[in-house]
Amino acid sequence: MSVSPKIIELRKILAERYPQQTGTRSLCIPTGWSPLDSLLGGGLPKGAIVQLLIPNISSGGAIVLHEIIEAMHDISQYVALIDSKDCFEPAADHHPLLLWIRCNNVLQALKATDLILRDGNLSLVILDFKENLDKELRKIPRSAWYRFQRIIEEKRNTLLTITRHPIVNSAQITISTMHRLSMDDLSTQRTDLIKFISLEMIRLRTQQEYRYA
Amino acid sequence: MHKNETNCFAVIYIPFYALQCARQKCVLEKSALDNRPLDQLSFEVVEADTSRIREQEVYDDESSDFPAALLDQEGLHVIELNHVAECAGIQPRMSTSQALARASELVLYKRRPSNEQHLQDTLLQLVYRYSPFIENSAPGICTLDLKGKRIRKHALWLRELLAQLRSIGLKAKAGVGLNPEIALQAAKIADPILEILEDCNLLQSLALESLGPSPFLLDILKNWGVRTLGALTRLPREEIGQRLGLEALSLWDRAAGRSTKMLQLVQPPEKFEESIDFEQRLETLEPLLFILRRFLERLTLRIESIYLLIAELRLMLTLEDGEKIVRILQIPAPTRDVATLFGIAAQYLETLQTTAPVTGFHLEVMPSRQAGHQFDLFQGGLKDPNRFFQTLARLAALVGNEKVGIPQRIDTHQPDSLQMLMPELGWSRKNVQKSGRPKTGPGLRRYRPGIAVRVELNDGKPVLMQSHLISGRILETRGPWKLSGNWWDRTRWETKEWDIALDNGGLYRIAQKTTDIHEARRGTTEINDDRLHSLALQDHWEVVGVYD
Repeated sequence: MSVSPKIIELRKILAERYPQQTGTRSLCIPTGWSPLDSLLGGGLPKGAIVQLLIPNISSGGAIVLHEIIEAMHDISQYVALIDSKDCFEPAADHHPLLLWIRCNNVLQALKATDLILRDGNLSLVILDFKENLDKELRKIPRSAWYRFQRIIEEKRNTLLTITRHPIVNSAQITISTMHRLSMDDLSTQRTDLIKFISLEMIRLRTQQEYRYA
Repeated sequence: MHKNETNCFAVIYIPFYALQCARQKCVLEKSALDNRPLDQLSFEVVEADTSRIREQEVYDDESSDFPAALLDQEGLHVIELNHVAECAGIQPRMSTSQALARASELVLYKRRPSNEQHLQDTLLQLVYRYSPFIENSAPGICTLDLKGKRIRKHALWLRELLAQLRSIGLKAKAGVGLNPEIALQAAKIADPILEILEDCNLLQSLALESLGPSPFLLDILKNWGVRTLGALTRLPREEIGQRLGLEALSLWDRAAGRSTKMLQLVQPPEKFEESIDFEQRLETLEPLLFILRRFLERLTLRIESIYLLIAELRLMLTLEDGEKIVRILQIPAPTRDVATLFGIAAQYLETLQTTAPVTGFHLEVMPSRQAGHQFDLFQGGLKDPNRFFQTLARLAALVGNEKVGIPQRIDTHQPDSLQMLMPELGWSRKNVQKSGRPKTGPGLRRYRPGIAVRVELNDGKPVLMQSHLISGRILETRGPWKLSGNWWDRTRWETKEWDIALDNGGLYRIAQKTTDIHEARRGTTEINDDRLHSLALQDHWEVVGVYD
């Protein structure tokens, strides 16, 4: 039976409008930020922890964070941002799809992450530890990350952690950016600025390795 | 009329209605206090009089095994009793002591009119599901006009209805007949369902008392030797009318199944509430949660019968000192799921601290229709909105109400002026507007509060910065950008912001804030004017945040 031309036309329109929603990429949450999506093969993998390392002080980490939030907003997805040091500065006047949890310390952030992951309603949870001191982060027991991993596997959501140094031993993917901002970047267009931020894959575990982690 | 349509009536009859209501309340309260499931063995509080309280262990559905009687609200006289109590020689209107003298094992209950009313409302609500033509005939009796219903086997839906009533603790019977009178009489002798659609002879053996004639008429008929409906209908109708008047004529018609009574149709009440006044004050949460779940089960059953959902819970706790705590809990996604509703209410009650023990609990639910929510193809809505909002409440309890939500900038130029909004449930794609992105520069990570820093100036520009966290030589600066506001009142603020590049590679925003000498004067009375002057002149620097 031949397919109606209208159906074909509709498929074409949908494919153009939502290119990230088709094919094998349905196993990923596309962030809409092309450098990250292309590096991860379509987006942040569902049911996994992704660790983003930003070792330098001013290296565009907030830009990355804003880009992901904006991109998720564009595809009408809620995002939870667990802000361990309460240092996030909203880029827009109103973020209707961003659930911002402003914590005072690492312990609060871990508890909030646990609650929001167990809830399972939000597909992407971002845990920002960038401004926390290393000595605070070293106190996080490894079991906490394994526990998060088990929850995520069950709920099929994604946890993106932002830290200066690798602390998440159960992360499936670890990526890093080594960019350094200069004074001139403060007056550079955001769209131009984002082009200079390059991401590097540090570690990619296979699905089997990850499951037995 | 369609050939499959029925033309008959059904009556739902709850024997010993007031007694059952009173007993049910006692069982509920005692089970809550003992924290044990109602389905299993339960205890009953037995109140012989105000000075005597004892407990008797009974099985749930064996209420007729022991003599039981209902007292009036003052607790002085018997107003209703079961068969066992009747056999023991107890009669209505006897005093408590007279009744106990005839049966020492008599179980006495106090009448609970509010509970009776709630259960009657529930009965009407449940039967309304099966017929829109219902009559609130009497307490514990409801008549349904089944005209037009295309049902042949009434036993199926009647069994379902009786099971629902059983689930809320009421043991009922059902009768079906060609007119309301036959249906009522059928219900009274049913076990538990009886249909009398053709052969009315079944009713002939019923006692005259089942029709509730006046004592005067009953006395005359008994003197004639007429004791059953069959004996009455064997007498000629016209003769009865001539000798005993209209009442006897009506009685004869009812006994013969020729009643032409019209139903007084009612609509079930729109109020969905349950309440209980505790005999013993509650000091722990568990009994209250037990009652809450039981109430929710009943109310959801009622709401389900009208095909609606619950959108709001209104809880009211009465404390021993007379204070009333009222709380309205909105259900983000209206539901009939008892577990979800219980979770939301229990979460509130767990965090509640009262100044005195609880003596009463009232729960009202507000029904709502299913919210119309059209998702588009790839829209990412919330899978379980109720769970999400419960999680939000837990997060708010963890970090504080003002620290969780959706950020929105307040309409002011003052830096870091934000408010946190609760996420909207009725969210859809067209409500989401493209957020205005900043045109230039990286994002800022703001230190809250700002880090106090000592800044050295050279030619009016910062050149060195020192604090317990961030220190270094300033390589490059931009600014200052002067900001001020609210100069017309006490909340006046003024700041000069600089963007700096530090020798550690970081780009920071620092701010020079001016101390308000007048505010300082109001806050510190011990400082002399010279000191205040120096405070005003001495600029206060802080690191606002880092560009990242």
